[in-house]
Amino acid sequence: MSNWRDLNAVNTHRSLILLAMGAVLGLALAGYALFTARGTSTLFVPAEDVALVNQQPISRSDYLAQLQTLFGVDGAHATREQRQQVLNDMIREELFVQRGKELDVASTDPEVRAAMVNAVEQEIAADAITVQPSEAALESYYNAHVDQYSGEGLMTVHDYKFSKDEPDQARMAAAALKSGLSADALAALHGQESHDVGDEQFYFAAKIHLGAALFEVAKNLDDGAVSAPIPLPDGLHVLFMTKNIHPARRSFARARDQVLNDFRKDAISHMRLGDEAFLRKRANVLIADDLR
Amino acid sequence: MRIFMLLSLAILVLVGTMIHRNVLGSRLLRSDPDAIPANASLRQFALEGGQSTFKARCVSCHGGDGHGDTQHGIPDLTDDDWLYGEGSVSDIERIVLHGIRSNDPKAWNLARMPAFGRDHTGALDGGFPALTPQQINDVIEYLFSLQGRSFDQTAAVRGEQVYKVTGGCYDCHSEDGRGNTAIGAPNLVDSITLYGDGGRQSLFDSIAYGRGGVCPAWDGKLTPLSIRKVAVYVFSLSHAAPESPAR
Repeated sequence: MSNWRDLNAVNTHRSLILLAMGAVLGLALAGYALFTARGTSTLFVPAEDVALVNQQPISRSDYLAQLQTLFGVDGAHATREQRQQVLNDMIREELFVQRGKELDVASTDPEVRAAMVNAVEQEIAADAITVQPSEAALESYYNAHVDQYSGEGLMTVHDYKFSKDEPDQARMAAAALKSGLSADALAALHGQESHDVGDEQFYFAAKIHLGAALFEVAKNLDDGAVSAPIPLPDGLHVLFMTKNIHPARRSFARARDQVLNDFRKDAISHMRLGDEAFLRKRANVLIADDLR
Repeated sequence: MRIFMLLSLAILVLVGTMIHRNVLGSRLLRSDPDAIPANASLRQFALEGGQSTFKARCVSCHGGDGHGDTQHGIPDLTDDDWLYGEGSVSDIERIVLHGIRSNDPKAWNLARMPAFGRDHTGALDGGFPALTPQQINDVIEYLFSLQGRSFDQTAAVRGEQVYKVTGGCYDCHSEDGRGNTAIGAPNLVDSITLYGDGGRQSLFDSIAYGRGGVCPAWDGKLTPLSIRKVAVYVFSLSHAAPESPAR
């Protein structure tokens, strides 16, 4: 025993003990890996799963979600029959999915193909948004796309319509409006006010209600300004602008939510293009002579 | 001899610890998630790993203390106000697993706040009409009346019509404005605000330009055990440990 510590001396007991310790440690590590590693063939169901179907796991979280969806109960309060039914349904689904792969249904069923394409695209998008961009990156994006982050303009405009046969009335009305004519007095000049506008509206709504031609004139009118008569197929229009607030750039702080969404959309697009390029690069695609 | 005994002991302790942690991990995963907080040993085991996962993956949005950021629409995880579900461990775990509007097919993807001040005649916003600035301001006065703040009575009456008829706000936020945790529609009656300071300007921005926050899905990126642990940790931010824990 005295020469156990002398590493220069041969000691059979020491060698055997070290050998045994190494074997025990190796077996322990191998056993741990065997029982826990994903993708290995095992007789034990990992704790995070409720079943293995041909080594394909059915996750416990999906099982619990299914219990909640079907019966409105959690795992602790579900009856044995409820648990059994959900488990059977999920095993059946997994078996049919595996059979579908064997039959290669994706090559024949357009719905499966579309679902698979969509699923891969969603997967890429999900990966893309896992990374939270820095504030500096967002601000830089905002500065590069600042035109996208204007608020809607607001206008309160009155639109008076006159007959095409009465251009003088329209001119008189325009002049009178500039000098503060009341709406009642304007009616005497046969002007009809459009009821689609008159209240405060966003620019896009005013454009819809006025039409593109009138809106182009209206958006350049200042508060209290009156347009010259504008000839349109339905008559002569005179616009009276009560209040015009032009679209203002929203600050980064106010637009940040939208900036983040746009940033992510761009990131998703880039990742999808990158993935497609990678798939094309590694694929062996042969194209028929007549389509080259 | 002593050195070999110490070495053997160290190996045994190491292997024993690994086995113990593995057993605890398995127990944690196989337990009913909502029962974990009441189990002291499982809770403690989950909190140890959950906190480190939270710090590595969640703090960039939710902050180190989980208080979130109303300037960026990041919810406070330490209060008792939950946008999705009831704030149970299983509800939180589902969000960590699949996210919110994360492009994960199992995520909470049901609703987003439409932009009522934009031209959105497309299908995305469910066909709701655009609102005029006055209608938006009227709805804000109505919401202020529900919150017990000072408001314009005449505008609030008009705003109620917009809320319950024209704008279809009730459809998500419910008739009484208390929201709907089944689709992540916030409670508009309480004092908790997801975006901004709850003032007229931030409410106007939310209604006019829409909202739609995102939480990424961690399924496949974190292990199921890490996800379970971080769910328990997030739960613990708003729930004190039970006084008489079961074992």
